[in-house]
Amino acid sequence: MNEFKLAQPQSVGQATSFLSQKPKGCHIMAGGTDLLGEMKNGIIDAEVVVDLKSLPELSFIKREQNKVRVGALTPVSELAENSFIQNEYSVLYEAALSLATPQLRNVGTVGGNLCQRPRCWYYRDSQILCLKKGGHKCFAFNGRNKYHAILGGGPCFIVYPSDLAPALISLGAEVIIASSKKEKKIPLEEFYVLPKENLLQENILQPGEMLKEIQFPLKGSGEKSTYHKLKERGTWDFALVSAAVNAQITNQSFKEIRIILGGVAPIPWRAKKAESVIKGNRITQSLLQQAAQEELRDAVPLTDNAYKTKLVQSIMSQAALSLVKT
Amino acid sequence: MEDKNQKKGKPIKRRDFLKGFGGGAMGAAVAPKFLVQEKKTISTKEGNIPVYSKKKISLIVNGKKHTLSVKPRDTLLDVLREKLNLTGPKRICNHGECGGCTVLLDAQPVYSCMFLAVRADGQKITTVEGLAKGGNLHSIQKAFIEKDGYQCGFCTSGFIMSSLALLQRNKKPNLEEIKQAFSGNLCRCGNYFKIYDAVSEAAKKMRGA
Amino acid sequence: MAEKKFNKKKESSPLSYHEEYRDKKTPQPQKTPSPEKERFTLISGYTPRIDGERIVTGKAPFTHDINLRGLLYGKILRSPHACAQIISMDLTKAKNLPGVKAVLQLKKEKVQYVGEQVAAVAAVNEFIAEKALKMIEVEYKTLPFVVTEEEAMKKDSPRVHENSNVQKFSDYSRGDVEKGYQEAHAVLEKTFKTEIEIHHPTETHGSVAKWEGDRLVVWDSTQAIHNVRNGLAKALNIPQSQVKVIKKYMGGGFGSKLGLNDYTMAAAKLAKITHNPVKIILSRKENSLTVGNRPSSIQTLKGGVKKDGTITSLSLINYTSGGIGRGDRCSEPMIDIYRCPHIKVNEYTVYTHTGPSRPTRAPGHVQGTFALESFLDELAAEIDMDPLELRKKNYTTKNEGGTGIPYSSKGLDQCYQIGAQKIGWHRRNKIPGQSNGRFRKGIGMGTQIWWGVGRPETLADVMLHPDGSVEAICGTQDLGTGTRTYMAVIPADTLGLKPQDITVKIGNTSYPWCGASGGSTTTPSVAPAIRDAAVKARDYLKKMAAEKLEIDSKNIGVADRKFFNQNNPNQSITFKELTEDLSREKVFHGEYVGRPSGYAYNTFGAHFAEVEVDTQTGKIKVIKVIAVHEIGRVMNKQTAESQVVGGITQGVSTALFEGRVMDPSIGTVLNPNLIDYKLATSYDSPEIEIHFVDIVDPRINNLGTKGLGEPPRIPIAAAISNAVYNAVGIHVKETPMTPDKVLQTLKEKEA
Repeated sequence: MNEFKLAQPQSVGQATSFLSQKPKGCHIMAGGTDLLGEMKNGIIDAEVVVDLKSLPELSFIKREQNKVRVGALTPVSELAENSFIQNEYSVLYEAALSLATPQLRNVGTVGGNLCQRPRCWYYRDSQILCLKKGGHKCFAFNGRNKYHAILGGGPCFIVYPSDLAPALISLGAEVIIASSKKEKKIPLEEFYVLPKENLLQENILQPGEMLKEIQFPLKGSGEKSTYHKLKERGTWDFALVSAAVNAQITNQSFKEIRIILGGVAPIPWRAKKAESVIKGNRITQSLLQQAAQEELRDAVPLTDNAYKTKLVQSIMSQAALSLVKT
Repeated sequence: MEDKNQKKGKPIKRRDFLKGFGGGAMGAAVAPKFLVQEKKTISTKEGNIPVYSKKKISLIVNGKKHTLSVKPRDTLLDVLREKLNLTGPKRICNHGECGGCTVLLDAQPVYSCMFLAVRADGQKITTVEGLAKGGNLHSIQKAFIEKDGYQCGFCTSGFIMSSLALLQRNKKPNLEEIKQAFSGNLCRCGNYFKIYDAVSEAAKKMRGA
Repeated sequence: MAEKKFNKKKESSPLSYHEEYRDKKTPQPQKTPSPEKERFTLISGYTPRIDGERIVTGKAPFTHDINLRGLLYGKILRSPHACAQIISMDLTKAKNLPGVKAVLQLKKEKVQYVGEQVAAVAAVNEFIAEKALKMIEVEYKTLPFVVTEEEAMKKDSPRVHENSNVQKFSDYSRGDVEKGYQEAHAVLEKTFKTEIEIHHPTETHGSVAKWEGDRLVVWDSTQAIHNVRNGLAKALNIPQSQVKVIKKYMGGGFGSKLGLNDYTMAAAKLAKITHNPVKIILSRKENSLTVGNRPSSIQTLKGGVKKDGTITSLSLINYTSGGIGRGDRCSEPMIDIYRCPHIKVNEYTVYTHTGPSRPTRAPGHVQGTFALESFLDELAAEIDMDPLELRKKNYTTKNEGGTGIPYSSKGLDQCYQIGAQKIGWHRRNKIPGQSNGRFRKGIGMGTQIWWGVGRPETLADVMLHPDGSVEAICGTQDLGTGTRTYMAVIPADTLGLKPQDITVKIGNTSYPWCGASGGSTTTPSVAPAIRDAAVKARDYLKKMAAEKLEIDSKNIGVADRKFFNQNNPNQSITFKELTEDLSREKVFHGEYVGRPSGYAYNTFGAHFAEVEVDTQTGKIKVIKVIAVHEIGRVMNKQTAESQVVGGITQGVSTALFEGRVMDPSIGTVLNPNLIDYKLATSYDSPEIEIHFVDIVDPRINNLGTKGLGEPPRIPIAAAISNAVYNAVGIHVKETPMTPDKVLQTLKEKEA
């Protein structure tokens, strides 16, 4: 790891003022578990790292009258251990507990998880200059792409690795983005961008901006949610495919449903086509199969990852049905 | 390796410092009063922000306070191993992928290889060396020996620290909870099945059962 | 010099036990009491590791932990190209970097894989050393390369070595396979594949080298201190007597640390130039690229079977790739385990531009057994026979499938019997794949054979001190399996002491000679040697006690730190009182001299696995494994059980997760880490039950003990494979059996 300087602002205001000066080679460190990996791998060469750990004001889980607020610096473990979250938002609790390891959840933050970089093995190799690093070629496309995108890919085929993002989007979460100017609030779903819109980053953050807070509405009556994740090994694995489902169930049908897939696309993939097939209809296995097939109509598997379509079919119905059963 | 100027408190050139610390073997011997801090201040409209190239920090390691000067890039693992001469935490993957460097940071298990030392300033750190008290092994350590909860022993410090974190919160963990607690520790020798036994036994001992 | 020649031969060819049996020059057997008649109190019991306290306190000194005054840090520059000519190298900038003490060019001509070492730097700390590496300017001329087996086998692919990429290295035949196929009721042919695996010991490879004048001391993370010593002496052209290699504790090796390494040579050279000790510890990525792998295999098996289950013919064609190194001989299980008159084997190495292979815990047998045992279940299904009955039907008590010499001991029949009973063999699907539903359970088994004999001429000492303290000394090394502990248990048992009374000294080339720790040879080498020394010490003390007690030494018994009159146990003298009469420390030399020829000495075992297959997601879960092994007399069940547990976990990892991934166009490893290269986790370990068959080999050595390192690693992948077959009715013929492959296989079955 190369040498770098560490800036330790004492407030969000200081941090954003500092960031607004757009220092050269500047990176934000929340938990640092992903950033340090990139620095050690030599994929990024930081000159200055802005340490947000000294901002305890960003670490909180607050229940307010009509929403829940989570500070971007809140460790993932606190989310997983919060009894209110456990009781009310199964999808978030299950996603938090499914990601990484106890050691990483203690350090890694909610904001960091939402801003993490792709795990694509071509991207993570410092000696390979791929599209995402300003190169001219996606090596996965004709290379080894077992873990890559089947939906929304092109020209780069990463999958977005976050487990919390699908869960939070299913809850209708919004994020607050701070900068030296005015704060802005946008739906988390709109936070992410496909490679065809921006190859070099996976979200819309501009230089000088930082993710400050996540908000989501209080649980409505009849609302149930769950997160299902398929991994190769028993634990400590990124999702082959995952599904966050949040639904309102009345009379054996889904009055409202949000399905967000992980591990299949360069962004958390809102399965809108599937949702519209399901919405308002009586829940059956075949309805869910039909929904998955509808969603997968646009899927373009690469050489090694067609199996993911099968996984999507399985996990989507598995997750949705589990809400009916419980 | 030793720089005589350091002892007399003369100004220290950057290189000498490197030599003094880089050697590792001698690092811990340097007295705190010679520690330097390299800091720039950047002014913003919200006030001044310190930007460090080197920072003086203190770590409370296994109950003992150490004051030392670190660079931002120094990981907690490297400081524990190279500057404080602790051999318990291991550098196995150096990327937060194995758990061999697990230490407790204010009672929470973390990968010390993925944690900058500068960010641990003022915090309490427990390594496997901090478990035995006055020559008496901790119940967890005894249980690992009795149940053969290891093979080569290289990942063992990490497993013991994860066990401690678990058993401090959960006096009677079931198998699922044990597996969950170890989900961030790899044992290449593959002795998980014996390690489960060791932790159950340790829990029993700690309950006084 | 016969001794030297013998050792050299064994060290350089640890992969085949057949060769040894064909070697008529097997040393004369030692005259030992029949081991099966001996009775022990500590041996075969449960003794906790004597070094446990050092391990659990973090104090056990591993090579990574060696820290010396004035230590410099070495780093290696490695080739970014799979194949390239080095045109020029400029070290000037690196040399001029403050803090850099030496820079060394290590490679002059051609590099043959990504990760091959090119140059080395020693600096005052790691960061400066790493920075200096980036300042070494190397001009390469890249050349065409090939990194996958499929490509390398094509005629016009770039050549790795001078000759064709495909080279036959093993053939074997007996009888006439064609005749056998004609006699068969059913003839089958199937192809199985296994992926290249990386050893990934937790402690990455590393060495610390220090010169004391002309004398070199090296702390090395190695399975073979004497090999490293001899290798260094030869390469540096200095006498072996001037090199000392030390290894106190090691974080695993699994075959990847059996000899001298190029980075150790670099450390020694850098230490020489700088006059400072130099430490080189490889990173996880370097470990992934450059210090060995288990070769892949593409095995096509053909077999004929009669209606009654008699196997008439077996043949194997194996294409195996270990990068620029040799492939693995996968045919040994096929040649030996089952009675079969007609066998034909042809094995070919397929060279690629990737890091060289090294023996990996049970080389060849892991791959060969996966294929053979899976294939056998298909043969059984073909004739509607219980697969375990098929194995029993073709049981043999002689090696080479009943055509060779008798096994000195073989408890495989008991392994079958115990394993079948404990797993509930009757619960399996009588017809593979007969169950329905999304989640399908199945039960399967696999058989294991391995050698497990000792290295003749292994030496060990027992030293008695006048103050009653005892040392057990041997120039072996503990792989992390518990060698130290049985080295205390054996003399303690022999002398009537407790294991904690014995100070064990190992891991230093100054101690009596012992070979590499690999191939399940350590226990059957060290244990008999230390036993020999301990018996000599005991007999010496018995004589002293007999004089004191004024009885015949034949009537002396030993127990509870006392020598006593067996006819009158009240008449006794303590061990300490006895040794007080020694005027100085007294050393008793022990040796393992060999075993009678004319017998085959092998270990046997069987694993029975129960799995559940999720037919929707292709995920396999191993629920339970019953492991039954016959390894002669077990020295210490406590550590032996752990070795079995470990073998099973690693086998689960092989079966379900592990595989090196190469990019064919860039020529690099895509998963050189522990997150993309997937090792089994705490959630992947099944429930495990272990049994050892109660057999003592009557000839192999004075304790009747065989080795255990390899055996539990061998049959587990096959047992899982067969359990999956039993569950879903089709074999996933390729490891690792990941969801993509399982789903693909299920699709093929439907079609």
